[in-house]
This record gives sequence, structure tokens and C-alpha cells, in this order.
Amino acid sequence: MLTGNGEAVATLGTKAVSGLDEAALIRAAQAGDQYAFEQLVQAYDQSVLRLALNLLRSPDDASDIYQEAFLRVYRNLHTFRFDCTFHTWLYRIVTNLCLDHLRKRKVRREEPTVVETSEGPVDRMEVVPEKRAEGDPARKLLSLQLGSRITQVLTDMTPRERMVFEMRHYQGMRLRAIGDVLGTTEEAAKNCLFRATQKMRAALGDFV
Amino acid sequence: MTCELANRQYSLLLYGELTFEEEELVQQHLDGCEGCREEFSRVKTLHRAVVNCEAELDGALLAECRRTLRVTVAAIGPPKKHSWFDGLTWGAFLKPLGAFALITLGFLGARLTSVGEPPQFSQSSVPMASRVRYVEPGNSSGRVQIVVEETSQRTFSGETASEPIRRLLLAAARDSSDAGLRVESMDILRASAGSAEVRRALIFALQHDPNAGVRLKALDGLKDSSGDPETRHALAQVLLADDNPGVRTQAIDLLTQKKEAAMVGVLQELMRKEDNSYVRLKCQKALHEMNASVETF
Repeated sequence: MLTGNGEAVATLGTKAVSGLDEAALIRAAQAGDQYAFEQLVQAYDQSVLRLALNLLRSPDDASDIYQEAFLRVYRNLHTFRFDCTFHTWLYRIVTNLCLDHLRKRKVRREEPTVVETSEGPVDRMEVVPEKRAEGDPARKLLSLQLGSRITQVLTDMTPRERMVFEMRHYQGMRLRAIGDVLGTTEEAAKNCLFRATQKMRAALGDFV
Repeated sequence: MTCELANRQYSLLLYGELTFEEEELVQQHLDGCEGCREEFSRVKTLHRAVVNCEAELDGALLAECRRTLRVTVAAIGPPKKHSWFDGLTWGAFLKPLGAFALITLGFLGARLTSVGEPPQFSQSSVPMASRVRYVEPGNSSGRVQIVVEETSQRTFSGETASEPIRRLLLAAARDSSDAGLRVESMDILRASAGSAEVRRALIFALQHDPNAGVRLKALDGLKDSSGDPETRHALAQVLLADDNPGVRTQAIDLLTQKKEAAMVGVLQELMRKEDNSYVRLKCQKALHEMNASVETF
């Protein structure tokens, strides 16, 4: 689906509404219609949660970002004046929250991938769905090592590089839309993406 | 184009971010440079590998997030409505004066600009969230008839066990567009898992739902019917085919609630192909408890 700005929002939730319906929903929500607000949330919340989950790699943190982002939307929807798409406006809120979180985390220690559960220690990386390299132990090992290395490279990127990489690679957003969300130019987003992919290639060169 | 310049463009080419001319230049370079073709092929492999590392969206987490948000929003109440008029820093005594001026302006404006009859609607207000189905050109009077489709919302409440409520829950459990809704519906349906219809719905979700959170919730609902042959058959299939380690782990737990010789073969088959160390450990333990060997010879 294309929005008025021509940016791809195909990766939004399956309930993404058309531009016409969306404008009506926003106006209804601005007028205090709770059902319209819920519809708006459900059109975008899957992609918001996925973005936060991919960036923060922690369901608790992703859930916090989800709550904070949509509460800000709820409180400030009356200030939305349709001078950008709702998707861009929402993503500005979400990316700012995620960037703040990532920056704070950089200052603190990095989170370990192994967490204690009631059933003993579990490596969160093993919960990430892996394509099974069936019957081939060497490929299996390589696949595990590769997954672990990719996560490490993502962690080592700057918050901004990681954000651009995430939005382009997993969310399928165009660089122009990413620039709009981050308040920068398409060229700056392109440079950021280039640095991120170069880091990825340098770190994983011996695997592929 | 030099190799170095082409090398800088590979990722952008894969993302479809190059212009037609830029893409042509890179393709031309690739056609004539074997070294760059190899490098481009490596970059493509890398892109695919990174896609596989995307975190899976858990339906249960989404449902929980929606529930919490709903509760918080209800607690906050309707957001305060602001108007530009509130932002003015006039003294309080000037506000009524401003309001009077605006009313006068509006009245005069209406007197000066209104022509003919005002538009009439068959209802008290224009629907807010609706879709125009078709418009019918009017006659010479300039009037027009517009047919609008509206989505109405109704609230049903009742006992979970009542037939109409169960039908709605079963329909919600099959809503392919909303994993959160499916999880919540499964959660309520669990209480009625004794009914054959509900059990079949849970089994179907366990075998076919694309979201692991929903499948886990369906497994949870099948706990009490793990002795039922149809359920056990589905559990065995899921154990060998599901790509989520959490689902496989829980399937082992349910299947081994009842020690059955027929399960030994399934567990041994799982041991042969399982990648996940925790699932292997669970499976090994279950086989040990059933006095069966870990492998087939």
C-alpha cells in the first residue's frame, strides 16, 4: 500500500487502513471516539511492537515502548494536523523513544543473551526462529554462530545506524520515509545505512 | 564505474534504493567483472541471513500490550481538548470579549455568505468512520444522493458457555488478521475445551496458526484433553513439524502426561532431527522415564 507521500507501508499491520479511512479514523479519535482510537492502534501496533522488539531484543522493554508511544499518541492526537502521514508522525514518537532507550543502554552494560527462567538458563537467541539446517551438524553450527554474530554486530552499531538498518531491512521503509521519521535527509539516511551494512559485511565476511 | 564505487552500491541495489541510471551502471559493471559478481553474491547471502534473525512477534505479548493500553487509556479518561483560544495569554476578562467578537463575526459571515437551503441529512450527523458506496447525481436542483456504508459496533455479553458467545469466540479465534484477538479468544475458550467443537478449533489453531503465541495458547487449552486420541495425534504431528522450540517443548510435556508406548517412536524420531538443546534435553528425559533408548538402532 502507498500513502500520500508514496512511502511503502506494506509491512504495517494487516489491518492497515486506507488513506481515506485513516483520515476519518484520526478525526474521529481526535473528537474523542475511543473505538476509532483503538482501530488506529490496531492498524499500526504490530509493526510498532516488532520494531521495538527487534531493536531492544527484550519483550519487557518493547512492551514499555509500546505503552509509552501509544499513550503519547492518545494525549497528543489533537496536535496532529495532517501535515505529514500518521505513520510518519507515529514513527517519530516510536523511534525517539527507542533511540533514547538504546542510548541509555549503551551507557549501561549490554544485556546478556542468557536469562534465568523457572526452567533454568535459556539463551534468548535460541528463541529467535532459526531456519533448520537439518541433518548437517556443520551447517547447524555455522547457522548458530552466524545468528549470534549478527546480533553482536547489531548491538555494536550506533543507535542511529541500528535504527536506520532496522527500518530499511525489517520494516521495508524507503530511505526517504526513514529520513522524514528521523528528521533528516534521504542522503543522510543513505549514508547511515551504508555505514551499518559495511559494519555487517566486515563482521560477517568470513561466514558467507 | 570502478569496482570500489560499485561495491558501495550493492546494499542499495538490493534494497531497491538506486535510481534507474545508477542501477544500470552497477549491473553493467557486474556483467563485466567476475570479482564483483562474487562479492555481490556474498552480499546477497548476507542479506538473507540477516532476515532470518528477525525477532518473532509473539501474539500473547501483543494481546497483553493491547490490554494494558486499554486499561491505562480508560484510567486516564478522555484527553483534554485544547483549542487555539486556550493558548492565548489574555487576561481572563478579555476571553468573554473575544468570544463575543467571534460569535458576531460568525453570524455576520453566515448572513453574508449563505445561499439557498442548507444541506439536509437523513441522520443527525455525518458518520465519522464510513465509506461512500456510490453517489447519485441529482436533478437540476443541484441536490445529490450519497449512499454511505457504515461499520457499526455492537456489544454482546454473556456466559462463556452460552452458544452465541461461543460462536463469536470461535469466529474471533479464526480472525487471520489479528493475532492478539486470536490469543485472547483462545484464552477464554480454554474453559470450554471439553466441547468437541472448541477442542477441534484449538487443534486446528495448534496445527495451522502462523503465530507461535497463538499456538502456545492453543496448547495450553488442550492440557485437559491430552489423553484424547485426536489431540495426541495432533500433538505428535506438531512435535515433529513446528519450528518454534517453545511449542515443541510444551507438546512434549502434554504427550508425556500419559506414558504410552506409541509415543516412544515419535520421541526417538524427534531426537534424530532436533536442533534445540533444551528440547533435546526434555525429549531425552521423557524417553529415560519411559525406559526407552534415546536412539533407534
